[in-house]
Amino acid sequence: MAKNTLGIEVAEIISDKCIACQICIGECPVGAIELSADGVAVIDPEVCVGCGKCFDSCPVEAVKFQKKKRIKPAEQERGVPGAGQPDYLGVAVYIETADGRGAPVSWELAGKARDLAAQLGTKVMGLLLGSNVGPVADEAIEYGCDEVHVIDDPLLSHYLPETYGKALSDLCAKLRPAIVLVGATSLGRDLAGVVATRLETGLTADCTGLYIEKETGLLLMTRPTFGGNIMATIFCQHHRPQMSSVRPRVFRMLEKDLGRKGVVTRHKMMAPAVELPEIVKFIPADDTAGTDIVSYPALVVAGRGACDPSSLPLLEELARLVGGVVACSRPVVQAGLMPYERQVGQTGKTVAPRLYIGVGVSGAVQHLVAIQGAEKIVAINSDANAPIFRVADAGIVGDYQEIVPELIAQIRKKKSNGKQ
Amino acid sequence: MHFVVCIKQVPDTAEVKIDPETNTLVRAGVESIANPYDITALEEAVRLKEKYGGKVTAVSMGPPQAESVLRQALSLGADDVVLLCDRAFAGADTLATSYTLSRAIVTLGKGNPVDLVLCGKQAIDGDTAQTGPGIATRLGLTQLTYVVDVEWVDPEKKRVQVRRKVEGGFEIINGPLPALLSVELELAKPRRASLPMLIDSVRTPVKVWDANAIEASPQLVGIKGSPTWVKAIASPQIHRAGPRWDAALGLSAAVSQALDALFSDKDFEAKFQKKWE
Repeated sequence: MAKNTLGIEVAEIISDKCIACQICIGECPVGAIELSADGVAVIDPEVCVGCGKCFDSCPVEAVKFQKKKRIKPAEQERGVPGAGQPDYLGVAVYIETADGRGAPVSWELAGKARDLAAQLGTKVMGLLLGSNVGPVADEAIEYGCDEVHVIDDPLLSHYLPETYGKALSDLCAKLRPAIVLVGATSLGRDLAGVVATRLETGLTADCTGLYIEKETGLLLMTRPTFGGNIMATIFCQHHRPQMSSVRPRVFRMLEKDLGRKGVVTRHKMMAPAVELPEIVKFIPADDTAGTDIVSYPALVVAGRGACDPSSLPLLEELARLVGGVVACSRPVVQAGLMPYERQVGQTGKTVAPRLYIGVGVSGAVQHLVAIQGAEKIVAINSDANAPIFRVADAGIVGDYQEIVPELIAQIRKKKSNGKQ
Repeated sequence: MHFVVCIKQVPDTAEVKIDPETNTLVRAGVESIANPYDITALEEAVRLKEKYGGKVTAVSMGPPQAESVLRQALSLGADDVVLLCDRAFAGADTLATSYTLSRAIVTLGKGNPVDLVLCGKQAIDGDTAQTGPGIATRLGLTQLTYVVDVEWVDPEKKRVQVRRKVEGGFEIINGPLPALLSVELELAKPRRASLPMLIDSVRTPVKVWDANAIEASPQLVGIKGSPTWVKAIASPQIHRAGPRWDAALGLSAAVSQALDALFSDKDFEAKFQKKWE
């Protein structure tokens, strides 16, 4: 182990493990750590006092330190289940509405909340805001909520961060749920940021996995970071509620249970004491410009390897045949061949079709995390080592210009056989 | 008018990967850049200044090397730049970051009240889109996210009207100043720095403020002010790994075997045959 000139055993950063989160820099009591020009933490051995705080706080074990094998303080504290916040109970889901109906992502989250609540031995609460949204409350119970708490007020007839943010924060302060889940729609992301700030609690955006840690009852949230190349697991130990936003189509909704019973409670709106913005008008998106790829049961997705305008008719033919539409990966949008609306991926759309056929898609991680909800994945690529094959149910290696026509022919044959 | 633009220095994320063998970060050749959404916000602020008059201040929180994004901001038209740099700020999550930036905006507003705060919709390394709403909420600013067009600013009546991207379309909305706009990339195409501006940007001093300078509470910044912690990182695990066939060894056989594998799930085949109904 390295010693400095004073004979102190110092800590060292293992630079290829460092994720530059800078936590150690904040923790170091003597200011011995700096972020280098290469974007990794570096410890000055002559300043280091060998206290081991950086070792204790590093989330990715990127600190080499051997004074003693210590127990990380985070783990010590987390020995007691639900330490410190026993009065925060239940898993809450924000029920987003559009045109007087519940948004599908809210029902997906209600289903996930059931799973989490079962592990915690607690209840699922739906938090519903809007104007004339009574029927949605019953639906929330059918999709898995045990309780629905409603603020139904004309002030909530249109979404504004000022009114919705206050209403949802007020409900959370009153009901004290341990966990709050919000759909990561554009509205949900706007709202969740307001509520977490008002409640001064942690919020993890765009989670793709939610788990309960057995020993502690803490919510573990995994999310893609660094543009989707890396998955981080996040937790929120000392603040409640633990909040996370989840993109649509990450979790599957439960079947509607029409016989389910639950309790609906109405709460009063307390108007915010600020001047509200005024919505002048809503302009619907131009339908011709935006094909909503997420609404199709099948997608034929063109990647960099099929980024050629002349093969588009071929892909469209395949898409029609399987009852879907053509989408694409990022390079195809960057090449100007297809509009952004058609892009699947971390920066595009998360999709969950019944059938996904990737043509010339290599399978960058950003793309793969956005298609993990697909029921079946077929990959066609000339590179046998393309990562897409690792996630595919079936793969064909070769030239797509030969494979796709053959695939079309054979599917046609299957379809006509199926009709007999 | 006083415009404040928040800029984050980010790694060029497309290049950061995990080595699947060793589970370590591969960062060779990864450069730090200014978050592209924030540069769009800066461009819009500079255009608004050119139209309505006033001053553009760019602010960034980060390590000393984040100075480079502020130099870039100067070359693109910012009048004044401030780097929020303090060990105490390190390890901040979005709650602590929005607190620190909001303290800086309050400090910048002393003697020259801030009318508009502009920031990118999200940063490309974290994609959280939480810092903008966090700042607006803390400072009680009118919150206008996902802005694709600033239609007008009325400095007399102290109002702003924008077009925002929302689910299924666009919303035209106006509200009182001071306001915070979080912007989409299509709002404005950033200009290129001219040579005189580039030269100026090197000569203009970058102010550096620590926690004391913005009167920030030590308990609310950096790691101490951050409720969320990273527990672990990993390469994304997406299991499935079905069989694959090589078309070079027989096109027709490869396709038919792949289809057989796909339709070995009879429920799935039935749904397919019924056109997914």
